[in-house]
Amino acid sequence: MNRRELFKQALGVGAAAIAVTRLSGQSSGSSYNGPAGGSRGSQLVTVLAGPFDTSQQPNGVAPLTAVPQYATYLRIQAHPGQEGKIAIGGPGMASTTGSIADSTFLELWPNYDASFDNGRSDTWIFSDPKWLNTIDLSQIYVYPEIAGETPIVTAFQLV
Amino acid sequence: MTVLTPWAASGPFPVSGAPAPLATSSTLVNQLSVKPRLGQWSKVLIGGPNLGTDESNAMAILYPVPNGGQADAFEVQDQGGQNTIDLSQIYVYATIPGDTPMVEAFGYQTV
Repeated sequence: MNRRELFKQALGVGAAAIAVTRLSGQSSGSSYNGPAGGSRGSQLVTVLAGPFDTSQQPNGVAPLTAVPQYATYLRIQAHPGQEGKIAIGGPGMASTTGSIADSTFLELWPNYDASFDNGRSDTWIFSDPKWLNTIDLSQIYVYPEIAGETPIVTAFQLV
Repeated sequence: MTVLTPWAASGPFPVSGAPAPLATSSTLVNQLSVKPRLGQWSKVLIGGPNLGTDESNAMAILYPVPNGGQADAFEVQDQGGQNTIDLSQIYVYATIPGDTPMVEAFGYQTV
């Protein structure tokens, strides 16, 4: 078993563990879940966390949530040990033909062996400056350059 | 309701030969980030309308990220929660023609 196969096997185990404890933002289906856009609650709640898998999508591009979920803070991190760049963008990514990476607004560099930046992983953090729930997670799309890789996604709502 | 929405033209920004404004007409956003594109070799200059290719009047100069590591970045956000950053007044220049710095911007919209 080579290194890539080992990663794949390990990731499979991780995904199974996550499926047992889904957070509200990770629930599938079309029901609305969470506070309205622009609101501001008093308790910070995690609605997305863990490795984010896009492999079920035909082109490997997936929105963070299937239905609108308004978050106040979003963090996407290249998964340490994985080898592909992570592309992040808007809804235009979903229907892109040709180079998906050219339709993104951000790329994260992989951190496959901790040899750069003292081992820190490239990370995109985006938050509302007034702590309002204004980031629609269903409008943020993610594309791992290598199929099956899983960036680490965390999102918070104030409820 | 109010939502922070990605600017439609966010993405790789082609620069050829001279500093170029991010938008050709007034476009107000809340947050802006400019990064060298991973794997490209240009230094990226950011400034106002008087930005020079010799780095004069640059408000930021970003090193390229040709071979790994976190990208250098210029980031600005209105902490008051308003759309106050006019993209037509932000100019970008890449030292290698054809390189495409990554531009990301979000603005408040009422939907």
